Amino acid sequence: MRSHKTPPVAIVGGGIAGLTAARALRERAIPVRIFEAGTELAGLARSFKDEQGFSFDFGAHFVTNRLAAALDMGAVCRTVPRYGEVVRKGGRYSAYPLGLLANPRHDLSAASARLRALFDRTPPRDAAEAFRREYGEAFADEIALPLVEAWAGAPADRLAPSVLQKLPGSILRTLLMRAAGRLTHRAVAIGYCREQPESPHVWHVYPEGGMGALCARLAEGLEETVSLQSRVEKIYVVDGRAVGLRVNGKDFDAAAVISTAPIHVLPKLVEGTDALAPFAAFKFRAMTFCNLHLHGRGLLPDVVVWLPERGFRTFRVTEATQSMPWLAPEGKTTLTIDVGCHAGDAWWQLSEEAVIDRCLDDVRPLVPDVRERLIGGRVLRTPIAYPVFLREYENARRRLSEDGTGVAGLLSVGRNGEFDHLLMEDVYYRTLDRARRLADELRRAPAPRNAPSPTPARRRGKAAVASRAVS
Amino acid sequence: MQALRWAPTPDGLAMEPARCCLCGLDDSDPVAVGEDFEYRTSPEVFRAVRCRRCDLVYLNPRPAPTELSRIYPADYHAYDFSPESFGLVHAVRRRLEARRMLAWCAGLPDDARILDVGCGDGFHLEVLKEFGRPGWRLEGIDPDPRAVEAGARRGLTVHRGTVQTLDLPRSTYDLALHIMTLEHVDDPIGVLEGIHDVLRPGGRCVIVTDNVESPDFRLFGGRHWGGYHFPRHLHLFSKKTLGAAAARVGFEVESLRTIVSPVNWVYSIRNLLVDLQGPEWLVERFSLRSPGALAAFTVLDAVNARVGRGAVLNAVLRRPPLHVSAKAN
Repeated sequence: MRSHKTPPVAIVGGGIAGLTAARALRERAIPVRIFEAGTELAGLARSFKDEQGFSFDFGAHFVTNRLAAALDMGAVCRTVPRYGEVVRKGGRYSAYPLGLLANPRHDLSAASARLRALFDRTPPRDAAEAFRREYGEAFADEIALPLVEAWAGAPADRLAPSVLQKLPGSILRTLLMRAAGRLTHRAVAIGYCREQPESPHVWHVYPEGGMGALCARLAEGLEETVSLQSRVEKIYVVDGRAVGLRVNGKDFDAAAVISTAPIHVLPKLVEGTDALAPFAAFKFRAMTFCNLHLHGRGLLPDVVVWLPERGFRTFRVTEATQSMPWLAPEGKTTLTIDVGCHAGDAWWQLSEEAVIDRCLDDVRPLVPDVRERLIGGRVLRTPIAYPVFLREYENARRRLSEDGTGVAGLLSVGRNGEFDHLLMEDVYYRTLDRARRLADELRRAPAPRNAPSPTPARRRGKAAVASRAVS
Repeated sequence: MQALRWAPTPDGLAMEPARCCLCGLDDSDPVAVGEDFEYRTSPEVFRAVRCRRCDLVYLNPRPAPTELSRIYPADYHAYDFSPESFGLVHAVRRRLEARRMLAWCAGLPDDARILDVGCGDGFHLEVLKEFGRPGWRLEGIDPDPRAVEAGARRGLTVHRGTVQTLDLPRSTYDLALHIMTLEHVDDPIGVLEGIHDVLRPGGRCVIVTDNVESPDFRLFGGRHWGGYHFPRHLHLFSKKTLGAAAARVGFEVESLRTIVSPVNWVYSIRNLLVDLQGPEWLVERFSLRSPGALAAFTVLDAVNARVGRGAVLNAVLRRPPLHVSAKAN
């Protein structure tokens, strides 16, 4: 299929990033076509409510009121009234991160680390060194590093220093934002947006209809550009530029390709260049999320409990109903127990009942009567929960983050496509930005160099007409 | 198990995407998220953004034009700024505005034609009628039928429509007033072009609009700033962006400065109190009906205006006289 018309920009994947990119390009009068492998858009971001009234999303996502307003969804969002995290150590809880400052041993060790850092300017070799230098050995070894290792599934000396992403803003600012959140009964978003500034006026909200609603909103008006059950099998690169793709055995021209596929899959799809080969080595951490439906509320001292001690299988337990009471029927709650694993390992293959049973054991030190409270449970598994920043591919990761894929007309966007721990609002603004830059680039040079197609001059003329015609 | 889906709330506003009116693109960063704190005409949440290229602040998304009657409710103050409702404030404001306006009118001929574009309840026209010269021919235009009714009650000539849609005589008016209106319109460039065309060559246009380079914006601009007037102010200007808009249309800028206004200060504090669910009696201390608060912030803003940071921008633009236009062509 080689038409003379300007080909659209092909978007691989109809999730939040893909839909955002499509909207941004359409706004600039660039034709798009979305190829989604599933039977519905945003399959992974959909939300469900079971017969007993427990709601859940695939992965608990946070949306800010600022993102909701951008999507004209503010009126259908509920304000999240509070959010907080604590760390449990030796049976005692301390608020994260400020409560941990109250430990003089940590403070002393942090102060001496900072002092030593004044004389040692060499960049840290690995994540372990980065954390020890930043927070001192006591805090790093007892709290931060065990959590990082459980999260990443690799020893900290194999992880790149970039794992350490500092909270933006000063301690004073964080304190002020906390105070604003308390005063207004809003979960002010602290550490949840990097693309746009934090502010006491930006807080977490939850859309009526769950996270799937967000995708449905993004997809409005794009219906005609979406092809469902369309598995992208190949992305063609000619002379260093993405020019088309094969979907369900059929070839399509494309002015550019925006992929939301996990970055380690992309090299397998791309044909005609080796530029992406290093990305094939990138690893994602697999996770099981075990939701325990329980009688009672407020079973944990705060919304999130971090568990750095080795005795636990999980590193994090979350009681989302403390933030979002509407996620469970009144007088009941859900605890989510996150356990990192490797896809295919023994834990990954356990039956749902066995996972629930072991998670109940894990939670018992926190909620002694958890078994008596049990109503039921559900286990969600994902092989690509979090990117793992291993040292062995840190240079390639940096290159991806700074220069993109290295192939003209091929963008890799979204949480999995960028291989970054991006939160919802960051995904939105980063994708918007990248798609707009692509639109500008396509307008300047609307004709992709496409070997088997008509002459470049002819394509260029047609392209200019077509991009004006579509609005 | 049932999948949850998005459904717009039945009482939500119809919204549309917006672009920067200076560059025609939407390449912006969010600056504020807020609500209709004053009139609560809808449960929507609104977002103000700033154009990365031009610095213009604008509402995006914004209410669709079909929602005008809803976002300007029956009790909207611009249609009823009467002495009965506003007492002392009305009297003082009338005096102060009269002084300001007569300064703008200096040098006008005895039979000057003056057009108030977006005249609301006709307050400014009435001031000119009372304090101006008897030969001046005063007209107003406003798209809202309530404005036409209010004008008729005051014995004023008010045309219903906009400067773009009404068939006004071209190159005719000596002075156009556009006071606290430019920020309300969805196409500021179109409106300025319309004004430019009805002015006689050499005629002037006086614009007063909220200033995003003021201390009140700096303090409250993340959410509660009175100048947002969510969701009714669609474009918000600075000296730079207002100057750019005027230049785009072919106006000469005679002067571009800031002037004193306590209103955004008072409403910023009111919005903050409303948002924090402050007690009613305290909220009511901050409104157009509160002489104390207005007086206090007039004093404060007078200091700001002295250093060029007053709450409100005032531009005097001139349609170039013919010989200049001929040269330009």
